[in-house]
Amino acid sequence: MPASTRRALGALAAALGIVILVVGAWIVAILGPSGQAQVSATSKAPGSIVVTPNFLNAVDVPVRVTATRRDGGAVLLEVAPSADARALLATSAVSTVSGVRYPAGGLDLHPSGAGALPDISTSDVWRLAAKGAGSAVLVVDQARAPETLVVTSGDSTALTDVTLTMAWVDRAWFFEALAMAMIGAVLAAFALNDLWQGRATPALHSEAADTQAAEVTT
Amino acid sequence: MTGHDLMTKSVAAIRLRRDDLISHDLTTRGAAALRLRREDLVRVISFIIVLLVCVVSLVTMASAPGWGGTHALLGIHEAPTAKTNSAPLTVDQAKKILTRAFTAAYLGETTTGEAANADLMTAYTSEGLRAANAQVKLASVQPAASASPLLAPHPTLLAVSRGFGFPRFIVAQTLASEGGLPTLHLLISPDASTPYRICMSVEMVPPATITPFDHLSQGSPLVTSGTGLAVAPATLLKLYAAQMVFPAKNIPKLPFAADSFASQLQVGAAGVAQAVSPQATFAQVHKVVPNSVYALRQASGDALVFGVMERTDSFGVKPDQNVNTAANKAFVLLTGKKVITKAASITTLEFVVFAVPRSSGQATLVAAREQIVAGSGS
Repeated sequence: MPASTRRALGALAAALGIVILVVGAWIVAILGPSGQAQVSATSKAPGSIVVTPNFLNAVDVPVRVTATRRDGGAVLLEVAPSADARALLATSAVSTVSGVRYPAGGLDLHPSGAGALPDISTSDVWRLAAKGAGSAVLVVDQARAPETLVVTSGDSTALTDVTLTMAWVDRAWFFEALAMAMIGAVLAAFALNDLWQGRATPALHSEAADTQAAEVTT
Repeated sequence: MTGHDLMTKSVAAIRLRRDDLISHDLTTRGAAALRLRREDLVRVISFIIVLLVCVVSLVTMASAPGWGGTHALLGIHEAPTAKTNSAPLTVDQAKKILTRAFTAAYLGETTTGEAANADLMTAYTSEGLRAANAQVKLASVQPAASASPLLAPHPTLLAVSRGFGFPRFIVAQTLASEGGLPTLHLLISPDASTPYRICMSVEMVPPATITPFDHLSQGSPLVTSGTGLAVAPATLLKLYAAQMVFPAKNIPKLPFAADSFASQLQVGAAGVAQAVSPQATFAQVHKVVPNSVYALRQASGDALVFGVMERTDSFGVKPDQNVNTAANKAFVLLTGKKVITKAASITTLEFVVFAVPRSSGQATLVAAREQIVAGSGS
């Protein structure tokens, strides 16, 4: 293998190792020994907040959802089969979770619709519910996925300025991230060592090339 | 001409030196310009590239939604698809619904005023509500509400619907604490925003039994056609209503077995006709209430069919006759009339439940109940 190719591959492996090491270490620091992954976002658009199964049921562990109103008003969290939740909210303004940024810890919210929220409190489709003043917490298991979580005020009043936090806990994640960091460290160490050991060869090769170039120009 | 000569002549034509096109010498000259050794410049450039790759990768991983690395680490996957062969609600949900509906039914039947009306509307729907309202209205002349089978303390959940379509149903059975016949209850939810309410409550006819439904976690499918059954549910109810008409008509090849409920009605109609014959004519018709027939598949493949018929008893008073109706307290309570001179009618709802075999054979009546709901006279 030519020395330049070997150097390039070494640099690439070193870069990959450093990236894996930094990301692994970052996630280890964020997760902590308890292995809790958490993302949150604040919805400013008026209306209810919807968490679809793409995010509610994307991990095989229970998800702890917390909704907090800045004005301290009532908050109601409910979970229903997705088709039923869609049918109930079809004509109302909602902010739907459309992306999770991890390990940055952010949630993307996509506002849509414009109508007022109908009275959904009498419906029997809700499997789980939690209500609170200012804040409410609901732990959603994955037994009956796919489901959709809806955050409302408990009546037709539109929510604004609500912070939604989703958290998952799995201790195995901490050790997986630790293993990831270790693998990155080992990869980076080997690659950097190889680059360091191979630095004499390119120097000799460079001097020979310089001599050859000088002969051509004369 | 060799390749070397060709390149030299070509660069001469564009007034460049051949070495200007060779990156090897560009690097060397760049290093010389920066007063560095060539390999030091290569190392610096390599380091900058590695640094850039690291930074770009980290920023992407940290901020891009759905990045594969964290997905793999946290086990993030696509959401599972909805199962079509599961119940839309849990057993706990179904039991809470039953408790709510039966409590509201009890309160509605044992109290009075606006709250009682609200309770009845919480508990019942459609013909069930119509019958419950009439039962409350006629409580003074009919068996007291304390005898209601809804007082049963522990309803037995028999079946819930399967899949996420509508209407959805719950079937429950109660047995009054003081004994008596078990009662079957059908609760219906027509859409996502409407809660389950009692559509009908029907006392079982001895010695009928209910064969098991599929497991509650799977739910039981709603039968929408007669496919796979000895007789289509709608046809069964239509023929059952037709054969009970008075004056009687002969209908051949009935798809159901004879039962005590129908025979008692026919005997009763003949008795009424004979009793009023000096003063009035009497006729009785039965019609299936539209959208009242629900058939639920059982584990064996048979079906339990619920239906409601509306019976109209019509009296035509003969000329120069006055009929005293005081003896019929329900009629007086509903119409306020104690004497009729022209005509009268009494409307009664008939709730029936049939067991329909899956392939051949006759359907059998397993539960039946009637409730006077309206009357008119002139």
